[in-house]
Amino acid sequence: MTDMTRKPAAARGAATSLLVLFLFATCASFMALKNKTDTIARRKVPGASIIYIPSGKFLKYATFGYSALAADLIYLWAIQYFSTPTIDDRFSHLDHIFAIISDLDPTYLDPYETGALIAQAEGHDTALAFKILDNGFAKNPTQWLLPFDAGHIAMMNLKDFDLAKKYFEKCMDLPGAPEFTRRLYANALYRKGDLETSWQTWLEIYNTASDERTKKIASNHLYQVKTAVDTGRLKEAAGRFRERFGRWPSELADLVRTGLVQALPKDLDGQDYVYDPKTGEVKAATIPWRR
Amino acid sequence: MKIGAIAGITFKEAKRDRILYLLFFFAAVAILASRVLAILTVGDRVKIIKDVGLASISIFGVLMAVLIGTSLVYKEIDKKTIFTLLAKPLHRAEFILGKFFGLVLTLLVMTAGMSLIFLAIVYLHTFRIEWTMLVAVAYIFLELVLITAVAILFSSFSTPILSSIFSLAFYLIGHLSWGLELLIKKMQAGAGRTAAQFLYTFLPDLENFNFKTEVVHNLPIPAGIFVYSFFYGIFYTAFILGLAILVFRRRDFI
Repeated sequence: MTDMTRKPAAARGAATSLLVLFLFATCASFMALKNKTDTIARRKVPGASIIYIPSGKFLKYATFGYSALAADLIYLWAIQYFSTPTIDDRFSHLDHIFAIISDLDPTYLDPYETGALIAQAEGHDTALAFKILDNGFAKNPTQWLLPFDAGHIAMMNLKDFDLAKKYFEKCMDLPGAPEFTRRLYANALYRKGDLETSWQTWLEIYNTASDERTKKIASNHLYQVKTAVDTGRLKEAAGRFRERFGRWPSELADLVRTGLVQALPKDLDGQDYVYDPKTGEVKAATIPWRR
Repeated sequence: MKIGAIAGITFKEAKRDRILYLLFFFAAVAILASRVLAILTVGDRVKIIKDVGLASISIFGVLMAVLIGTSLVYKEIDKKTIFTLLAKPLHRAEFILGKFFGLVLTLLVMTAGMSLIFLAIVYLHTFRIEWTMLVAVAYIFLELVLITAVAILFSSFSTPILSSIFSLAFYLIGHLSWGLELLIKKMQAGAGRTAAQFLYTFLPDLENFNFKTEVVHNLPIPAGIFVYSFFYGIFYTAFILGLAILVFRRRDFI
């Protein structure tokens, strides 16, 4: 009786051990094969998986209320996709992908910023960067960051100061916008050549500044704007002097004596402007940032 | 022999299952509807038909494997027919393998049926039988074989609803495990990375059976991948079946 009960138990034990051994063997085999298959490069169709993603407007209904989650997932995937340099034509789908994310979660700000950054820095498509940021701002009109980014691109990359001025103007009065946005706006005005408005804006910044540092910055810019206005007038007068007498004036006082200017202006610190009679160049005695 | 008998009975039982025909009907409708979708596209219509057709075979095949597979063993336990079966000189491993092969046979017939409809639709557009499509279909079938084993594993110790959820989760993990590779690349060397690497190798990679894109775009497929993917599928299925047998052997039905 003892043997009868022991024998099947022993046989069962052996079968179980054999089965466990079998499991280890098969597990090791498929893991080795998995590593092997990973070493074989398979051809892929770049962008094949995203070309057919429908518009976010339609996709929104297919997410059954999880559109924000879907936006997160597509955004995470998009970051990986656009940072894969082996996909040569990855930027051709940039607009489509970020439009989908925007449709799924219009208030998600990161994708607008990242999309614009990728478009501008990697895709070299500034127009698309503006399009993404404009779309974001249209859907989030209280978010200062989006026009700020657009203004930054316009100013630093495009050197389109008129466009930069428009974006900073949109941004500076929005809640949460940093106070330096107004300074960027005033600087864009200066770089654009609108010296009068730039002067007014810097003056306003100077008068309303709550700290000495901002006051100093505004003062330097006021110095710069006044210098630009004054030297511009003096240079113009020197040019007319040359037309009349066939030579540059030997000193700036010649301009007053000939009635081309009523009086010689001084810079914001009360110093005379420096004049070079050989070239007719007029400049400030001090560099604004070293005052 | 006993495995063959149980497989035959399982095949007959599955044939009577209405859900099988319902899924086959929807698969056929989806494949036929690819024609309508192709009309909406701009450009290559045949590509859309091939994409939708192959996807339909894959998705409805998985649903068949999961929905039928997860109830196979559970039904026998629930209806107490398992007592009659196990009272006979039948090993529990034979019972599991019989159920598995019976469902695999059912899926083979269903996949063949869906493929015929698919090839016919493609033929109507290209006027040639595109045999290369069968490469993708063959590996879809291999994937279904693995999913069947998974469904039977869960069915051996859980309810059909839970088993279906677990099996579908296995399917999703299998198609998304590549994400771990991206994570590993960004992880610093250490225990976490080793664990992630182990998990990545251990978790199923069902993309090894996905040749749909290559076939549709006529891309060259390295010969080695066919062989390795085939054996990967076989060994993974054997592992899952071994696990199912181990679990089922230890189950007490009293």
